[in-house]
Amino acid sequence: MKRIAIDHLPRVEGNGGVFATVDGNVVTEVKFVINEGARLIERLTIGKTPEEDVSIVPRICAICTLSHKNAVLRAMENALGVKVPPKVTLLRELMHTGEFVESHSLHVFYLALPDYVGFPNAIAMASKFPFEVKIALEMKQFGNHIMKTLSGRYIHGENPVIGGFGKYPTREELVWVKNRAVQFMPFVFRTVELFCGLNYPTVPEADTVYACCNPEGGKYGLWGEEIILSTGEKIARDDYKSLTNEFLVPHSLCKRSRYRGNTYSVGALARLNILGERLEGEAGKMFKKYFNSHWKKNPLFHNAAQALEILFCFERIPELVDEILRYPENPPIVPYKAKNGKGTGLVEAPRGLLIHHYEIADGLVSDVDIITPTAQNAEEIERYCYLAAQKLLDEGQEEKIRDRMDLVVRAFDPCISCSVHMSEVRRVSEDNWKNRLADLIKTEPIFIGVGTEGRTDDRAGLDLALELRKAGIKAVYLESEIEENHIPENTVPRPFIFLDVVHMGEQPGKIVLLPLQHVFWNSVLSHRLLPSVSNRLSYEQIKNSYILGIQPESIEDGSQISPSVEEAIVKILEELKS
Amino acid sequence: MRKEKLKIGIYELTGCAGDALLIVDCEEDLINIFQAADIEAFLMAKSDNRDGELDVALVEGSVSTEKEKEELLDIRKRAKAVVAIGNCACVGGIQAAFLDKKEWEKNFKKVYGNHKFSHAKPIQSKPIDAYVKVDHYLPGCPIGKEQFLATFARVLAGNPPDLYRFPVCVECKWNENDCLLNKDILCLGPLTLAGCGSICINHNLPCVGCWGPTEEANWTSEYHLLLEKGYDIEAIKKRMANYSGTRIAEFFEQFRKEKK
Repeated sequence: MKRIAIDHLPRVEGNGGVFATVDGNVVTEVKFVINEGARLIERLTIGKTPEEDVSIVPRICAICTLSHKNAVLRAMENALGVKVPPKVTLLRELMHTGEFVESHSLHVFYLALPDYVGFPNAIAMASKFPFEVKIALEMKQFGNHIMKTLSGRYIHGENPVIGGFGKYPTREELVWVKNRAVQFMPFVFRTVELFCGLNYPTVPEADTVYACCNPEGGKYGLWGEEIILSTGEKIARDDYKSLTNEFLVPHSLCKRSRYRGNTYSVGALARLNILGERLEGEAGKMFKKYFNSHWKKNPLFHNAAQALEILFCFERIPELVDEILRYPENPPIVPYKAKNGKGTGLVEAPRGLLIHHYEIADGLVSDVDIITPTAQNAEEIERYCYLAAQKLLDEGQEEKIRDRMDLVVRAFDPCISCSVHMSEVRRVSEDNWKNRLADLIKTEPIFIGVGTEGRTDDRAGLDLALELRKAGIKAVYLESEIEENHIPENTVPRPFIFLDVVHMGEQPGKIVLLPLQHVFWNSVLSHRLLPSVSNRLSYEQIKNSYILGIQPESIEDGSQISPSVEEAIVKILEELKS
Repeated sequence: MRKEKLKIGIYELTGCAGDALLIVDCEEDLINIFQAADIEAFLMAKSDNRDGELDVALVEGSVSTEKEKEELLDIRKRAKAVVAIGNCACVGGIQAAFLDKKEWEKNFKKVYGNHKFSHAKPIQSKPIDAYVKVDHYLPGCPIGKEQFLATFARVLAGNPPDLYRFPVCVECKWNENDCLLNKDILCLGPLTLAGCGSICINHNLPCVGCWGPTEEANWTSEYHLLLEKGYDIEAIKKRMANYSGTRIAEFFEQFRKEKK
């Protein structure tokens, strides 16, 4: 058994890993595992006052602390009917922009760039890129400075509250921020040229759906009152659940999301894909210069998208300061009387769409729902890592899989408390399916034989199912028996195992157990099973379904099954009987 | 003879990673930190991390999975000294709000149902001293830059940290703020450990208690003062519990004793 492993995937802000399992020519498993423990924040915030929750929930993540602050404030103010004056909204936007500068510059220069120029960390990179490392640090510091000026401290500042701010920045402080932003412009252009011009690998590329907030007034921006998708669909703020549809997987405490049975992406690349045309000024020019069809399907372009957003922020900061200075009066905190209500707040965190929802009864919080960007991206990260791994394996570049998966995960910039530090590629022996099947048997799977008679090996799945029945194994169905919507009721989470022949480019008779999802994601493996299954199974059922596949020798017309496939059927039977 | 550099590891368990991020946010000083000591492990900042012997391990976050428990036990074995950094490591943090195991289980079920987890089996969040001996505590949510740099320098020199034991009110007086309690605003300053620089009150906002309770608080007088102001003592306890983690139990016990 060959095993390639590194114990930690560093320079990603968080705690978890990606594991790929390779059996022969087939990637049989990819798991984006999150090792972070459960904090139950949606529970421990119940029974608190709205003010207490505004203080507690940004502690979900130190990097996105102000995105969480703005999301909870927007949600609470919607719930309590609080309307803040324009100066407050503008200052909140300025602090949000500061967080984007801080987070994006930290990510592109310190976490992502070392991979592309071959250094283990940014400090080592300083020997070759002293200018970039130094100025990027100053840029990050500048972002931090804005956050501190407006929120009170670098991390978990308490100054923004329901109805306004405890203390307002002075005119001098704001003018300093504006002037400093202007000074950075030459380096900002250099940042865009560097990251938009990087030679991003073309593996993995695959179409996807992008989602982000739809800022008002047809502008580019960092929050909105509705969600917009790259398909053009729009989802109202309070209907956010029709996008996110949260569900659980066994290997992570982080809930997952999918939209209409498909994974979707959020983050800088999603925003650029959906809203890029709305960019004005220099950012608009740069968008036109660099945006191309690769951005639509290659997650590695997240880094390029973040660089363009840095430019957007640096153009926006002086505008914001000028707008804020038009309001010399500092408005007092807006009081409220409401004791009941419910409200949703949507913002774009640096890593994507962030949703907070609260219900308030008798002055105390009674229900909380928080959906983070990394939770939404988790399925995409798994899918793109699978696509990268299988594609590289097909091209005979197995040694590149681990590093490429690192690049993919890091590009998504998974956020601190909901993410990754371990990447591993494991090559398993060809008997591996036996162990995994044994594990699955414990969860009482339902077997479904798939195939066609009269086309040599294509009947193997049917034969196998009939043999299982003979052997007294219950819960075995044939494809024809489930034709008329008779997929067995599966309310208890019992996995489905489809028995079928699968073209994997392997030796005939090779047995592989792989997630059904891989067949959906990989057009090479696709076959006619897809429409009949995908229409009837829910996404959660698909996530909990597998194919026990045999590599056929032939599926030409003919009644005789090949000896190698026959042998495989016997092997599986022996295994299941024992 | 030149002394060998100390070997230091910085580790993150469950939390917001704000304490590790604050170390990264030390910016120019971060380079000094890397020069002053051998940083053997610091996942947020570097990829060439090693699992060897350590002079000092700085641990952030609460223990919230079986895997983290094992990791922490291993860190303790390898390190001559362990420093808990931040509220989560020191007292369990906001996620240690459910003190009673049954209460935790009930709430866990509400979020995750009967779902079985194959990796990182979740356990009730606890501070690191629930499992290992802790040599020093650096409180804060997140830790403060000045206190961190001072502690780091003292630890490098082989000295224990020299932290405040008094409440936020002392710092608040240094900053010449008006007392919010005089304006009838419920402020947790008198019960909360100092070290933040009374940052909230500097912003005209009441202290939220994010550095946890201080032993030196004058409980009796505080209790009577708050009663006099007409505050509901349950509301105060609830508010104190937000950031006090497992320490809230002993805090209330002392509160109860002094009340008598």
